[in-house]
Amino acid sequence: MSILIDKLFSYATKFVAIAVLLLVAWIFTILFQNSIDSIEAFGFDFLTETKWAPNLEKFGALPAIYGSVVSTFLAMVLAVPLAIGVAIFLSELAPAKLKSPVGVSIELLAAIPSVIYGMWGLFYFVPIVRDIFGGIGISMLTAGIVLSIMILPFMAAVTRDAMNTTPDILKESAYALGGTKWDVIKDIIIPYAKAGIIGSFILALGRAIGETMAVTFVMGNVHKISFDLTEPATSIPVTLANEFTEADTSLYYSSLFELSLFLLVISFTIISIAKFYFLRRQRAA
Amino acid sequence: MTHTQKRIITNNIVMILSALSAIIGIGFLFWILGVLVLNGIDALSWTIFTQEGAPPGYEESGLKHALIGQLFIVGIATVVGVPLGILAGTYLSEYGQMSKLAQTVRDISDIMMSAPSIVIGAFVYAIVVAPMGHFSGWAGSIALTIIMLPIILRTTDDMLQLVPSTLREAAFALGASKYKVITQIVYRGAKAGILTGVLLGVARVAGETAPLLFTSFNDNFLNTDMSEPMASLTVTMYNYATSPYEDWQKLGWAAAFILSMFILSLNIIGRLFLLKKKGK
Amino acid sequence: MATIVTITEEKALEVKDFEFTYASADAPSIKKLTMPVAKNSITALIGPSGCGKTTLLRSFNRMHDLYSGNQYSGEIIFKGRNILTAKEDLISLRIQIGMIFQKPTAFPMSIFDNVAYGMRLQGIKNKTELQGRVEKALQDAALWNEVKDRLKHDANGLSGGQQQRLCIARAVAVEPEVLLFDEPTSALDPISTAGIEELIVELKNRVSIIIVTHNMQQAARVSDYTGFMYLGELIELGLTEEMFVTPKEKLTEEYITGKFG
Ligand SMILES: Nc1ncnc2c1ncn2[C@@H]1O[C@H](COP(=O)(O)OP(=O)(O)OP(=O)(O)O)[C@@H](O)[C@H]1O
Ligand SMILES: [Mg+2]
Repeated sequence: MSILIDKLFSYATKFVAIAVLLLVAWIFTILFQNSIDSIEAFGFDFLTETKWAPNLEKFGALPAIYGSVVSTFLAMVLAVPLAIGVAIFLSELAPAKLKSPVGVSIELLAAIPSVIYGMWGLFYFVPIVRDIFGGIGISMLTAGIVLSIMILPFMAAVTRDAMNTTPDILKESAYALGGTKWDVIKDIIIPYAKAGIIGSFILALGRAIGETMAVTFVMGNVHKISFDLTEPATSIPVTLANEFTEADTSLYYSSLFELSLFLLVISFTIISIAKFYFLRRQRAA
Repeated sequence: MTHTQKRIITNNIVMILSALSAIIGIGFLFWILGVLVLNGIDALSWTIFTQEGAPPGYEESGLKHALIGQLFIVGIATVVGVPLGILAGTYLSEYGQMSKLAQTVRDISDIMMSAPSIVIGAFVYAIVVAPMGHFSGWAGSIALTIIMLPIILRTTDDMLQLVPSTLREAAFALGASKYKVITQIVYRGAKAGILTGVLLGVARVAGETAPLLFTSFNDNFLNTDMSEPMASLTVTMYNYATSPYEDWQKLGWAAAFILSMFILSLNIIGRLFLLKKKGK
Repeated sequence: MATIVTITEEKALEVKDFEFTYASADAPSIKKLTMPVAKNSITALIGPSGCGKTTLLRSFNRMHDLYSGNQYSGEIIFKGRNILTAKEDLISLRIQIGMIFQKPTAFPMSIFDNVAYGMRLQGIKNKTELQGRVEKALQDAALWNEVKDRLKHDANGLSGGQQQRLCIARAVAVEPEVLLFDEPTSALDPISTAGIEELIVELKNRVSIIIVTHNMQQAARVSDYTGFMYLGELIELGLTEEMFVTPKEKLTEEYITGKFG
C-alpha cells in the first residue's frame, strides 16, 4: 500500500513537471497553427509591410514592430542610467539608515501591477508631454517614458543585488590604495558584477518589449511609422490588446496570432540570452 | 590641479549624480504612489463594495461585480495553480534534481516567468474562447493558472532545496518512505518559503490585465457563472479609466487603489514570513 | 599599566590614548591604547581572537571611516601630525600607509593592471614608467619570474600564494612608508607562507611594517618587536627576542606558553 502511494506520488510530480514542458510546446503550436492563414497570405512580407488596414484585409506588422523597438529603446535609454544611479546610491552611497527602507520600497514598487503605471501615465503624464512637446500627449515618447518608469524599480533592484555580490574585502583593498568611491565602483564593483548587471538589463529589456498595460493607455494604437516621437504609435502588445476583441475576419485573427507568435519568439530569445549567457555564468562563478 | 584632486572632483560629481538619480527615481515612484492613494481614498465609499456597475452618471455605482469576479478568477487560478506548481517543484527538487529533464523544466519556467502575459491570453483565446464561442471566467482563470504555474514551481523548487539533506537522510534512516519524507519532513521544513512563494505568485497574477482582456473579458454587472464573461478589477479599471466619464474614472482609481493595497499587503506579508523564518 | 620597551629607533607611528568603539557595539573594542611603532622594523601584534588586533590595524589607514557610526578618540601620530583629525586627507594617507588583507584580493583585471592600479590612481600614465615600476614591484614581491610571460592574463588565474604576493607587489608599487598586514598567510599553505615571510623581512629596509598574526612562530621568525594585546588593551610591547624568552607580564607569559587563547 505505502509502496503504491510512493510510486503514485512520484509519478504525479513527474507528470506535472513534464506537463509544464508540453504546455509551453502547446502554446507555440497553437499560436503557429492559428497564424498559418496569415503566414500563407503574406509570407515574410508580414514583417516588412507598413500597411495595417483591416478593412482592406491587408496586414503588415512593421509599424507595430517599429513601435515596440523604439518604445523599448527609449525606455532602456532612460532607465539604464537612472537604474545604475539608484543602484549606486543603494549599495554604496546611502547611509545605513536609508539603505533598507529605500531598498524595500523600490522592491515593493516593482510589484505594483503595470496597469497602474499605465493609468498614472494617462492621467498625469500625458498632459505634461502635451504641454512640453505639443501634440496630443498620447505618443511614442510618452509610452517610452512610462515604460522606463515601470521597469526602473526592477532594474535598480537587480543591479543593486548584482553590485552587492562584490566582496567587501575587494572594495577595501582598492580604498586602501587611495581609491575614491567612484574609483572603487568603476574599477572593482562594475567589472566584478558585470555579467549580472548586463544580464539584468537584458532581462528588463525582454520584459519591456512584451509589456502591454503600461503602454496601452498612452500609445494610441496608430499603425503608422513616424519619426516624430510626439505622434501616436503602436506596438505589438498594444495592437493585440486593442484589436483582439475586434477582429472580425479569419485573416485578421490570424494576423494577430502571428503577431503574438512573433512577440513570444522575440521575448523567449532575449530572456534566454539574459538567463543563460549572462546570469548563468555569474551563478557559476 | 593634481590628478588626485581631479579624482576627488569626479567622485563628487558622480556621487551627486547618483543621489540625484535616486531622488528622481524615487520621486517618480512616490508620485505614482501618492496619486494612487489620494485618488483612491477620494473615490472610496461603501457603495463601492455594495453596488454593481451602472451606466455613467448613475449615482449608485460600485465595484462589487469586479471584486467578486476578481475573487473568482484569481481564486480558481490559485486553487488549481498552487498544487500543480508545488507538485512540479517537488519533482525538480526531490526526484529530478540535476537531471536533464529537471534542468530543462527549470530553464523553461524561468523564461516563462518573464514572457509576455498577453501572449498567454491569445493562447487561451484559441483553446477555450474560440471553441466555446464566447468569453468566460474559466478562460481567465486558465490564463492566470498558466502564468502562476512557473512562479510557484520555481519557488517551491528553491525552497525545498534549502531544506538540509541531513534532515531527509535522518528520516530515511528511520525507515520512512520517500513520500512520507517529502510530505512530512521536507514540506514542513520549507513551509514558510513555499507560503511566501504562493503569496507572491497570487500577488503577481492578481495584477495581470492583458491576459484577461480577451479571455474573461468584462461584464458591468455581477455574475457568478464562470462560463460567462466576467468582470475583474484590472479589466474594469482599464475600461473605466479609458472612458470619458468622470465618475467611471473615479471608480477606476478606487479599483486601482484596492488592487494595489491587496498586492502590496501580500508582498509585505510574504516578506515578513521569510524574515521570521530567518530570525528563528 | 602596559609594559612598553623603550624604542631606540625613530618612530613610524605613535598611538596615544586611542579608544575605538564600533557603531553596533556598546563597549569600546580598543581601550586607551598607547603604543609606539619603530621605523624600518617589523612589529608583530599577537593576542587571542577578538582582542582588537584587526581593529587597531585598520585604524592606521582609517579603514573604519568607510562605515558610518564608528567612534574613536585619542591620537595616532604619523609624520608629526595626528591622522585622526577630520581634516586628514584619507586618500594620500592610504597611499602612504598600505594594507594587505587576510585573503588575497586580486582585482578583476590583468596581472599588470593589478600592480599598476595604485600608480594609475595617482595619475601616472607614462607607459615606460608604469612598465618599469610594475616590473620592479613584481620583482620585489618575488613574483616576476613566474608571471613575466603572462602579465596580460587575468589575475584570478594565479594561485592563492601568488595572488597574495601580487597584492604585496600592488601595495609596494606606490612606495608606501608603512605596510599593514592582517594575518597575511592564514589562507596559505606552508610553502607560500615561507615565501611571504621572507618577503616581509626583505621589505623592512624600505618600509615600516606592522603584522597581525595568530602564529607565534611567525611572530618570532619575522618581527623585531612584538605587542601582546588582550581585551582591547596593549599588555606588553617588547623586543621579540626578549619577549618570547622572558616576558615581563604574567598574562603575556600565559598566552605564549599556551595557557589560554
Ligand atoms: N564591525 C564590527 N562591529 C561591531 N563589533 C566588532 C566589529 N568588528 C569587530 N568587532 C568586535 O571588536 C572586537 C575586536 O575585534 P577584532 O576583529 O579587532 O579582533 P582580532 O583581534 O582581530 O580577532 P581575530 O584574531 O579573531 O581576527 C571583538 O570583540 C569583535 O567582536
Ligand atoms: Mg582579526
